[in-house]
Amino acid sequence: MTKAPHPDQMPPHVPRRSGAWNTARNPGAPEQGATPRVEHVRITTPDLARRAALGVLQKRMVFGLVGFLLIYGILAGRLIDVSVINPTRPDAAAIAAELPRTNILLPPPARAEITDRNGVILAVSLPGAALYANPKQIGDPGEVARQIAAVIPALDPGWLESRLADRKRDFVYLDRGLTAEQELAVNQLGIPGVYFEDIEHRHYPEGDLAAHILGGVTPDQRGIAGVEQYFNKTLTADPATPLRLSIDIGAEGIVRQETLQAMTDYDGIGACGIVISARTGRVLAMASLPDYSAGDLGSAPANDRFNRCVSGDYEPGSVFKLMTLSMAINSGMIHYWDRFDTTHPLHVGRFTVTDFEPAHIWMAVPHILEVSSNIGASRIATILGPDIQRAWLKKLGFFGKPPIQLPEAQPAMYHPKSNWKLLTTMTVSFGNGIAMSPLQLISAVVPVVNGGIYYKPSLDDAGPPPAGVRVMSAKASLIMRKMMRNVVVAPNGTGVYARVPGYLVGGKTGTAQVVGPGGRYMKHLNNASFMAAFPMTNPRYVVYVVVLQPHATKKMMPFCHGFTTGGYVAAPAVANIIARIGPMLGIMPRSGDALASAQAALSIPVDPTAPPGRSALGPGHMFPPGASKYAYMLAGEKPPAAIDEAAHDAALARTEMWQPLGATAETISAPSAPIIGGAVSHQTMNVTPPFTHAGG
Amino acid sequence: MPILSRADTSVVGRWWWSIDRVMLTALILLVGIGYVLALAATPATNIALSDPRTMVMIKQIVYLAVGAFVMIATSMLDLKQVKLAALGIGIIFLILTAFTLVHGVVIDGGRRWIALPGFTIQPSEFLKPALIIATAWLLAERRRTPGFPGMMAALGLNGLVLLMLLRQPDVGSTALVASTFLVQLFLDGLNVYWVGIAVAGFGAAGFAAFEFIAHVHMRVMLFLHPTKDKAYQAITALSAFGNGGLWGRGPGEGQVKHYLPDARADFVFAVAGEEFGLIVCLGIILIFAVIVLRGLARILRETDLFVALAASGLLVSFGLQAFINMASSLSLIPTKGMTLPFISYGGSAVLAVGLHMGFLLALTRKRNHAERAAERGAGATMQDRVA
Repeated sequence: MTKAPHPDQMPPHVPRRSGAWNTARNPGAPEQGATPRVEHVRITTPDLARRAALGVLQKRMVFGLVGFLLIYGILAGRLIDVSVINPTRPDAAAIAAELPRTNILLPPPARAEITDRNGVILAVSLPGAALYANPKQIGDPGEVARQIAAVIPALDPGWLESRLADRKRDFVYLDRGLTAEQELAVNQLGIPGVYFEDIEHRHYPEGDLAAHILGGVTPDQRGIAGVEQYFNKTLTADPATPLRLSIDIGAEGIVRQETLQAMTDYDGIGACGIVISARTGRVLAMASLPDYSAGDLGSAPANDRFNRCVSGDYEPGSVFKLMTLSMAINSGMIHYWDRFDTTHPLHVGRFTVTDFEPAHIWMAVPHILEVSSNIGASRIATILGPDIQRAWLKKLGFFGKPPIQLPEAQPAMYHPKSNWKLLTTMTVSFGNGIAMSPLQLISAVVPVVNGGIYYKPSLDDAGPPPAGVRVMSAKASLIMRKMMRNVVVAPNGTGVYARVPGYLVGGKTGTAQVVGPGGRYMKHLNNASFMAAFPMTNPRYVVYVVVLQPHATKKMMPFCHGFTTGGYVAAPAVANIIARIGPMLGIMPRSGDALASAQAALSIPVDPTAPPGRSALGPGHMFPPGASKYAYMLAGEKPPAAIDEAAHDAALARTEMWQPLGATAETISAPSAPIIGGAVSHQTMNVTPPFTHAGG
Repeated sequence: MPILSRADTSVVGRWWWSIDRVMLTALILLVGIGYVLALAATPATNIALSDPRTMVMIKQIVYLAVGAFVMIATSMLDLKQVKLAALGIGIIFLILTAFTLVHGVVIDGGRRWIALPGFTIQPSEFLKPALIIATAWLLAERRRTPGFPGMMAALGLNGLVLLMLLRQPDVGSTALVASTFLVQLFLDGLNVYWVGIAVAGFGAAGFAAFEFIAHVHMRVMLFLHPTKDKAYQAITALSAFGNGGLWGRGPGEGQVKHYLPDARADFVFAVAGEEFGLIVCLGIILIFAVIVLRGLARILRETDLFVALAASGLLVSFGLQAFINMASSLSLIPTKGMTLPFISYGGSAVLAVGLHMGFLLALTRKRNHAERAAERGAGATMQDRVA
């Protein structure tokens, strides 16, 4: 307070100078020489006390000011300290607990995934929604139907309206496969009485690849076809463990593509392509055409859903000569150097068996396969007789269903034993008069090429490699491989278009007649097929392609010259498949000396001579001991009074050979070392695959 | 702002030219901050009248408006009306406070509340300003009227109130009322010897409370030895300040506030620290400091003992209450349930503090000579100077 205070605000004076409280002076009067003037100022005692108290209060107020300044200063200092200098971090867990949950945990799927052998997902269950309505709560079914149909174009407004107008019910499904986008759109319509149900959708990311193998599920997520049905219990019992199939989806794609190409090139009505491991019997790829997208099982036409690989029974045609010849050589009654009379067609009753390109010679066994002589095959089959033939076919699975993990598998069709006489023995020998699914056929060829070990065909990649069964001698298998290789490499062979440089492909064509609706063969229609294995030194895979009812289209005419045989239609597809999947499977093409030495080991003379000390069948010596009476009948000769039962029984015993092998390395190596010798070990080292695929 | 002529002699006109407008501005600012924090401290939710949390927020906004109105209306009273109003309110709420002991609503272990339809009030909140004014009056009257047993009456009155508060029990209010009374006595010129005894007695009472009142003991022990499990509230409040830092996380962005117990009332300062940061919190402290320090400084010029004692009592009570609240949030002192004036949640508290500061504004208004003389009542015959 620097200004002169207003008199009222002046601190009350307690004059001490003059000793008396009432000796106030006239303000402004000079101290000395002034005229003293007595003033009477009356101040009451209480007033004075009050003024004194105010003075004390004002002095003491300073403590209050300082005190508050101090405590608020401390407050500010502490605030700065805890805010920025030494801030305490909030409890992250407590904050997290307060935050709204953004990562909503999805319930685990109720159905296991299905993968290929490399773990690529083929089928997976994802959460989705089903749309349903309570018709009793729907105001205007027509309007609601229109709104929903505008959002889900797949739904027909008329159908929707009829569902929504069904007032007797209080629950109708409208769509059981809503996408998330559709769910959102319908939800935004905000229609009362329309609800969502949380469900699972089965998705098949590979679309139409392996669709027939996978099959499908019902809207209730129950397997209804394919492995989805076969493994339904496993898939639902342990949803956490994926079902691993033996399929390689890359190979599947190639097989489908090449088979489809052959089918469309030749305007076939259907086709199959199968690749199966020669060492385990596991199916690597299996495509049936036409096909469908795996998720659309419910709406796909029956013709597309039909799995021709396991459900269709087709006469195999000349491919079946592999069965006839392997049986014959394995039986010991026939040797590859034996020759048979193919000089003229065979007439049995009202039937005539001819060759596609008649040679009119006595033909040796490799030659019979090379030119696919029906007459030669018939002669050989009749020598062995229906007993041995039936035993052989039964052993290799032609008299039942293929033991594959697909509910669609159908049994083969064949004549009853009572009907299985001369003519049936002859026609079956070249693949007519018996029909089976392509999978059955290919799985019977596996032991023919792999050294004689039969494996059940399988789609399941889990568990140890399947145990094989020795069904024929390794020696017989080797001869078969050489003869199959000859079919491809021989200049006049039917399988020249199956050649793949460096892969040592061997095989057999098939051109089967088509049985029409009346049970009669249809003219100008056939099924063209090719059965191959590679590499023939020590086969890894067997490949089979069949095109049903191909036509010589304009496009292919310059290539096939009007023929729709297996050699033109199916063999190129097989060659393409092998060329493309071979490197993928770690099988590299061979060249140079390696190729030459492997080829040399596989060569077999088309016109062989019997080894020293062995006699060959041929003109004048047509029947081996134990030959069946039908051989004599076919030759127009009278059967001997006594057939050599001992020789027949010995051949039958070899035919019925069934020696299960332990599921050991022996199984895998069985087809290798003893058969080929040095070339094989060389090759084995070359082809060690980069995969861990058991037995692959 | 209405343009009021200095010649305007209406109630509003005289009020406008005599009110301490700086203090009024500071108080209105506090009400505004209280409004913002009523939103901030309320859990994030949709505005829906069916939601009780929305209703809580809206009620608080209404209380703030009513509190501000009460404050301004009260500030228009003259000294005589202040005394009469304080007397009336004091008598009513003294009775009501006594009533809580008989028929109070127990909240958080204290029997401090009276339930009215749709509203619970804490009568001691309203009793406080009335008690301060009554005490000042008694002490001043003692000087004016020799033989008036002002000191004994003040001691008796304060003693009665303190006893009732202790019985509720409301240790915080007891300490606040006792401190305020002590400051009033000190400013009134109480002998330093007695002041020393009173401070010692205060300390002894504090120790006794620590020793004999279980939850006081616990709070102090937790303050001295904080552990993460036990001193959860204090540490969580500190982490709110730490989370806010310099500029805060932004309005409504508080995280700690969601799990900080009592965030809307006793720890509203921590919520302010988290969402608006150090700068705004320093601003809040500054506003309180301006109100208290400016008010006290103005009392230095006051010539009326009653006004000086009453105003300083009201300011000290207000300033201490704010300090205790903020210091609790900052773990400077043991956690003590005391509201931050105008800012903490609570209808009763906002109305009471409106009344409290309304009295203060009324007391600190500029008065001319005639008024002053008139206010001295019989002192009209008493003149400073007689010619």
